[in-house]
Amino acid sequence: MWIVRLNMSDRSYKLEEVPERYKLLGGRGLTSTIICDEVDPQCHPLGPHNKVVFAPGIVTGTSSPTSARVSVGAKSPLTGGIKEANAGSGWAPAVAKMRIKAMIVEGAPEEAGKFWMVHLTWDGDQPQVEFLPADAYAGRDLYEVYPEIFERFGDKVQVAGIGVAGEYKYGNSGVVFNDMKQRPTRYSGRGGVGAVLGTKGLKFIVVDASGAPGVAIANETLFKEGAKKMRAALMEHAITKPKGGLNTYGTAILVNIINEAGGLPTRNFRTGRFESAAKIAGEAIFETNKKRMGKEIYNHNCSPGCIIQCSNTLYNEAGEEIVSCIEYESDWAFGADCGIDDLDAIGKMVYWCNAYGLDTIEAGVTIGVAMDSGVIPFGDVEGAINLLHEMGKGTPMGRILGGGAATTAKAFGNPRAPVVKGQAMPAYEPRAIKGIGVTYATSTMGADHTSGYTIAPEMLAVGGASDPLKNEKAKGELSQAFQKTTALIDSSGHCLFIAFAILDISSGFDGMIDEINGVLGTEMSGDEAVAMGAEIIRRERKFNEAAGFTNLDDRLPEFMKYEKLPPHNVVADIPDEVLDSVYGNL
Amino acid sequence: MDAITVDVWLYGPLAKYGGSDDAIFAQVAPALPEGSTLGALLAFLELPTEERGITFINGNLSAMPGLQPDLDQVLQEGDRIAIFHLKSMWPFQYRHEAAMTDAFRTAMTQREDQGLRSRYD
Repeated sequence: MWIVRLNMSDRSYKLEEVPERYKLLGGRGLTSTIICDEVDPQCHPLGPHNKVVFAPGIVTGTSSPTSARVSVGAKSPLTGGIKEANAGSGWAPAVAKMRIKAMIVEGAPEEAGKFWMVHLTWDGDQPQVEFLPADAYAGRDLYEVYPEIFERFGDKVQVAGIGVAGEYKYGNSGVVFNDMKQRPTRYSGRGGVGAVLGTKGLKFIVVDASGAPGVAIANETLFKEGAKKMRAALMEHAITKPKGGLNTYGTAILVNIINEAGGLPTRNFRTGRFESAAKIAGEAIFETNKKRMGKEIYNHNCSPGCIIQCSNTLYNEAGEEIVSCIEYESDWAFGADCGIDDLDAIGKMVYWCNAYGLDTIEAGVTIGVAMDSGVIPFGDVEGAINLLHEMGKGTPMGRILGGGAATTAKAFGNPRAPVVKGQAMPAYEPRAIKGIGVTYATSTMGADHTSGYTIAPEMLAVGGASDPLKNEKAKGELSQAFQKTTALIDSSGHCLFIAFAILDISSGFDGMIDEINGVLGTEMSGDEAVAMGAEIIRRERKFNEAAGFTNLDDRLPEFMKYEKLPPHNVVADIPDEVLDSVYGNL
Repeated sequence: MDAITVDVWLYGPLAKYGGSDDAIFAQVAPALPEGSTLGALLAFLELPTEERGITFINGNLSAMPGLQPDLDQVLQEGDRIAIFHLKSMWPFQYRHEAAMTDAFRTAMTQREDQGLRSRYD
């Protein structure tokens, strides 16, 4: 196993032995630990002392289902705190199969505006790295560039990279990975990790794992048993099984639900219900495709080996692809949050984000803030697309918007910035759905819907208390339990959507623990594995504290405390003590 | 007897019970006798209760797949009722501390799993 260290100051690399303390880590656990160990929390995120760390999960690259995830870590230029942004792509197993535990990108080229790419291959005994100039690909649409890269390096490669948003060093730039059809669509989107790679002058990491030995598995029998349990749970659960909820309607299945609950942030979080939600929801995407293509089209996998297969493609009237994929969050950000009910236009906007290397959530919320500030009216499709092009062109307006929702609100004198720690809130109104408000406020990542994704099934057995959800203290405990179990899944290499199945079918959770123990040769219990998740968050909190964050940053924006959100007419009223209790006892 | 009119949203495949040809959604405004329950509304729509999953009354969660403590709830003039198909989902982590009807809240607290699951059948 290796750590590959890429030094962008002199374009040299080192293969390092994996230190003992990293051996049981993967994914988010590893990226966050390396950032804590190697990056000064007070460094400027866009300066030479920040680093970008890539790490596949513990079981990534094995035959375990739905496990092709990669974590990208850095100090975030958007939040100023630690960041882990997660994506599913064939890139992740390719790296894992070369027995690379993590890749660390450090230093910065002396020549401003120069870009390089890395070609990572297997030389028979170990990985080898070649640095190549990449200026010819800079400043261009990723949909144009990706086919050129595949043509140059062959069909078997996997490509990670940045778009112009990363080159311009935007706070809303992501790191992109190819999907199954070699499109630049799978994003470690959040927190501006693309910008940090931009400061390193690293445009692409092209991985060719041909000949690589594959992931070392310490206990094959245990691993196989675990993977079998996981597969069975995913195949059985109504949400995750083939032709189940996610495979049919994609993640946008949530649009109508959250809208009816009064929690779909609409027109920059002015109300919790969008009158045209049904026109842009997962049901509409499925039926529109059916009408246009003359048949039912179920969703596809974003990465190899996934059972859930939740990625949709939207087709136009002529049967041509508009974009793949419209996730719930993207659908909402350009739809309800901007007051736009035109599905095809939403698809186009997702396309342009992929082309430019933008995070759809941050970009959509930013346009919503711009609309709320009077830059263009709500519902203005053409205006919204133009603003995306401003970002893509790097105009002065584009650079303000590229700074994200908080920067844009500040630039236009608008106190209604729906952010925590500088990161835009995703598609759940924390005033209406208060549980997620606790997670938004306290997550180490800024407002993030994936931070509290799941809970260990052990928590289900707690019982006893008459109604723990009414109990203020329990709210904090529950959010903490969500966050630490999520940190564990983010480290395992599994997609967070396994959470639905393993929460309801506890043998699935046991399967995940067996898989982890099987790969690592450990004998962790479920509780011990969750404790590992807690330790990861403890490290992240420590980094954020050293970067200057206090408990006062674990708060929802003030406007949500005095503006009542229709239709329930509720404000953010979670007591500060509850928010402080989330990590008070970690 | 006076009549009430309610605002009914039927999503996905359930749209057919609102007379819609596509399976996106249907919005209907049936007039029902005063005092009608949600169960009576379902009978009026000819929508078998086992075909529905997540249900809302005025934005308050009232039923989940396999857990329907709302059949006897008396409807009021102007109520917005939203009914989802069984493929629809709302994981606990995105619904805890969301608004729910009193009957649903009571049903949740009586469960040993405290309502953390996504299905109850």
